[in-house]
Amino acid sequence: MPRCLVCYKWTLDEKDIKIKPDDLSLDTARAKGKISDFDRNAIEEAASLVERHGGVAHALTYGTPAVKQSLKDALSRGPESVYWIADNSAETADGFVTANVLAAAIRKLGPYDLILCGEGSSDLFNQQTAVRIATLLGLPCISFVQKITIEGDTIKATRKLADTTEVATVKGPAVLSVLGTINHPRIPSLKQVLAAAKKPNQEIKIPELGLAPECLQPRAVRKSVRGFAAKRKKITYKETSAAANVANLAGSLAAEGLC
Amino acid sequence: MNFQLTEEQQLIEQSAREFAKEYLDPIVVRLDQMGEFPREVVKELANHDFLGLQLSAEAGGAGAGFVAYVAVIEALSRSCAAVASIVNNQAMVSYSIEAWGSDAQKKQYLPKLLDGELIGAFALYEHGPAPGIGPDALIATKRENCYVLKGVKAYVRNAAEAGVFVVFAVTDAQDPKSLTAFLVNANTGGLKVREKQSTMGLRGCSVADVVFEDVALPGSAVLGTVKAGSEITGRVLALASVAEAAQTVGIGQAAVEHAAAYSKQRVQFGRPVGTFQAVQTLLAETATDCHLARLGLRHVAQLVEDGKPFEAEAAMVKSFLARVGSKMLIDTCQVEGGMGFSEAMPLPRLYRDIAGTTLLDTPADFPDYAIAAAIV
Amino acid sequence: MPGIFIFSEDTALAKQLLTPALELKQALAQPVTALTLSEDSAKELAALGADKAVFLQSASAWPEGLSQAIHGLIAGAGGSVFLVGGTLRGKHVAAHVAAKLNAAMTTDAKSLKIAEGKLLATRLLYAGLALCDEELALPAAVTIPPRTFLPPNAAANAGAVETVKADADPRVAISDVVQGGGTGVDIAAASKLVAVGRGFRNRGDLKLAEDLAAALRGEVACSRPVAEDEHWLPLERYIGISGHTVKPDLYVAVGISGQVQHVVGARESKVIVAVNNDEHAPIFESADYGIVGDLYEVLPLLTAAVRKNGGR
Repeated sequence: MPRCLVCYKWTLDEKDIKIKPDDLSLDTARAKGKISDFDRNAIEEAASLVERHGGVAHALTYGTPAVKQSLKDALSRGPESVYWIADNSAETADGFVTANVLAAAIRKLGPYDLILCGEGSSDLFNQQTAVRIATLLGLPCISFVQKITIEGDTIKATRKLADTTEVATVKGPAVLSVLGTINHPRIPSLKQVLAAAKKPNQEIKIPELGLAPECLQPRAVRKSVRGFAAKRKKITYKETSAAANVANLAGSLAAEGLC
Repeated sequence: MNFQLTEEQQLIEQSAREFAKEYLDPIVVRLDQMGEFPREVVKELANHDFLGLQLSAEAGGAGAGFVAYVAVIEALSRSCAAVASIVNNQAMVSYSIEAWGSDAQKKQYLPKLLDGELIGAFALYEHGPAPGIGPDALIATKRENCYVLKGVKAYVRNAAEAGVFVVFAVTDAQDPKSLTAFLVNANTGGLKVREKQSTMGLRGCSVADVVFEDVALPGSAVLGTVKAGSEITGRVLALASVAEAAQTVGIGQAAVEHAAAYSKQRVQFGRPVGTFQAVQTLLAETATDCHLARLGLRHVAQLVEDGKPFEAEAAMVKSFLARVGSKMLIDTCQVEGGMGFSEAMPLPRLYRDIAGTTLLDTPADFPDYAIAAAIV
Repeated sequence: MPGIFIFSEDTALAKQLLTPALELKQALAQPVTALTLSEDSAKELAALGADKAVFLQSASAWPEGLSQAIHGLIAGAGGSVFLVGGTLRGKHVAAHVAAKLNAAMTTDAKSLKIAEGKLLATRLLYAGLALCDEELALPAAVTIPPRTFLPPNAAANAGAVETVKADADPRVAISDVVQGGGTGVDIAAASKLVAVGRGFRNRGDLKLAEDLAAALRGEVACSRPVAEDEHWLPLERYIGISGHTVKPDLYVAVGISGQVQHVVGARESKVIVAVNNDEHAPIFESADYGIVGDLYEVLPLLTAAVRKNGGR
């Protein structure tokens, strides 16, 4: 009957972000928010584990005040309640700050058997939050997990690394980060969406966490962001004769020292 | 005043979009080409509570309201308007039963309609000028304690798969106001569904004539009361027309998004065609029509949800879309040029589908009449 | 005296880390210590210029379980920069160490340098849509993807080699380790790639691409549909946003339309060539050279031309 806590991030949907052609700056004005892709997998995993084994799943999120838009979305996907921290510090928070805040919140919320995160957020993909949280809490961490099995208080997780899979066995409590291939997040049915309104949510304010001010100062600071623009030659050979095109291409490749 | 959907409505719309991406996008081309009823998809619609969306919770629905329903229909139509038609025709039947059905009828039909186990069809139109008039008119003759139906119903959608029909028949051949609604099981003796017709668009949603050869129905088959037929059709068609407007907006939105993406990539005379004013005008007009229609549509849906009169506003939206619907597709096809003509692209299918959603099922077929009646 | 530390469980990758480490050594005037999981590896890294190479001797070979021991060594020596090979294992180790050091950490850095006592790194955001410059206070951990740097040449004087006993995390037990499952081809290591897409009509036609790849002395790769939908090639050859990211000298995209989900996996190739019969295919926007034509006609001619120029 595991007590699960799943951490998620409310991010901008990168599909909606435009790059301004003149200076390559990002235009996020029309970008909608979404629960970060792999966090959806984490939420789904928590919900399925509870459906299979009993127990309970809560969600936890730290973000800017926009994070309030995520609460019903998260609740419609399975957790029975959501804790949220809305603070402007999230705008510039790096892995150091994020993990400090989440770990402090988890200490405050009390013991969980299983803490789940996505392997990385869809906007920044820094891939460090889960391991950092585990380390701060003194808990074992199993990262990049593709399958979770629970037997009593033992957690068996199959990890998928570049060309290796391995099974890590640990006694809870533990922190796990999950891959996008672990499951297929449910599409919330309408009844689940409407039921979300009745589930509890609770704000946690940063001062309640008792963090020293330096724990909230990012140690990695974003100095500039610009759209990625490839500079390619874009020389296209489109004569009617394939032989002529190939001859031209072969010449160009030879000039580049490639054949 | 708030033009935004509520949080719940937004989440419901988001679920509908995710559903469309996962279940409709993979089948839409095959559905259009083969016209086979997408039974598995309908099951999934039921599993996600889309079939009972706007029905009250007491009736077993999700109780999400009409605004959410219309947003879902638009979201589904962006991928596959044919499936949205199936959903809408199903909703017409389940709504009719929820609003006018006896407890026994609700118990018999609603759970199965909501589960997708039973498909519903709304049999109103006939080949004659109006129900009850013409050689094949459907007449319900009262015998001792039953009604015998004889005649032909035309253009019945979902007919081929329907397990239950809401059938409208005059009980008095001389009196069109005697129109009465009946619930008829598909396996009732004497009921025959003719061959599926091949339609221009919306090709996953079957259309067929239904023949009634002395179909005997008990008195308990009457839906509502005798002669309440016009009241039922008036209301149900008005609601259906709002949903159809949502289909049209969904199709238009799909078209403008596709054409806009195309215009960014397609390069002619050294620049993306989307930078040429002629193309910008076509895209801008389509996007404008879509956006304004959507606002009008949301407003009408809110009136419905608030229990206020909405028929004139619904007719305005329908009339507007009847004028601009096909134009949206003509223009976006033009943006894509040769590609807009190619069946390897979605636009030709959208062009054919929007012909269906703009021309069928307008309230009393005379939207301007309804509008004038309201304001004059 | 603070120092620069490098670690990768993959020796080849560890050698690549020496190159930026030695640059940082110049900028920070601090020694470079390589942490390794094998004695041979330690010797090789010392020979390539690490001032010290430490072999962590442990009963367990599980790198992640040695994170705490690694932290101990770095904290004990006052580490300022910790460069880690950007495998998934490396990212785990780096994050553990960063948490313990209350340090900044950045992953998948494309470049790094020291400016005014801080580490400047560049990395991608928003699934490859944007580039971001970050300033990290020291101490900082950075993971670096394979093949971002070349290994340095042998050093004039080899560094010292040490062995240290390290305790693994006793809480996690590892079992059922399964290697590979692939044919052993490393797409990301090839310097020339011929990628196939939906333009090919059948599996048998891929031979045209194989011939070209052979003539170029390269490998065959593919777009997602060829691997996931058609199953003509294994997933390990698939290039794209959820497949491999590659940086070959030459990337030839044949019968690939050029959607961003595919292109993002190959767009750092030195030279990109596209062959497609649709002149409006977006791939031409991402290519240096392209041929509009029928791949069935073009490929054999191109293979012949490459062979003539001295290929196979």
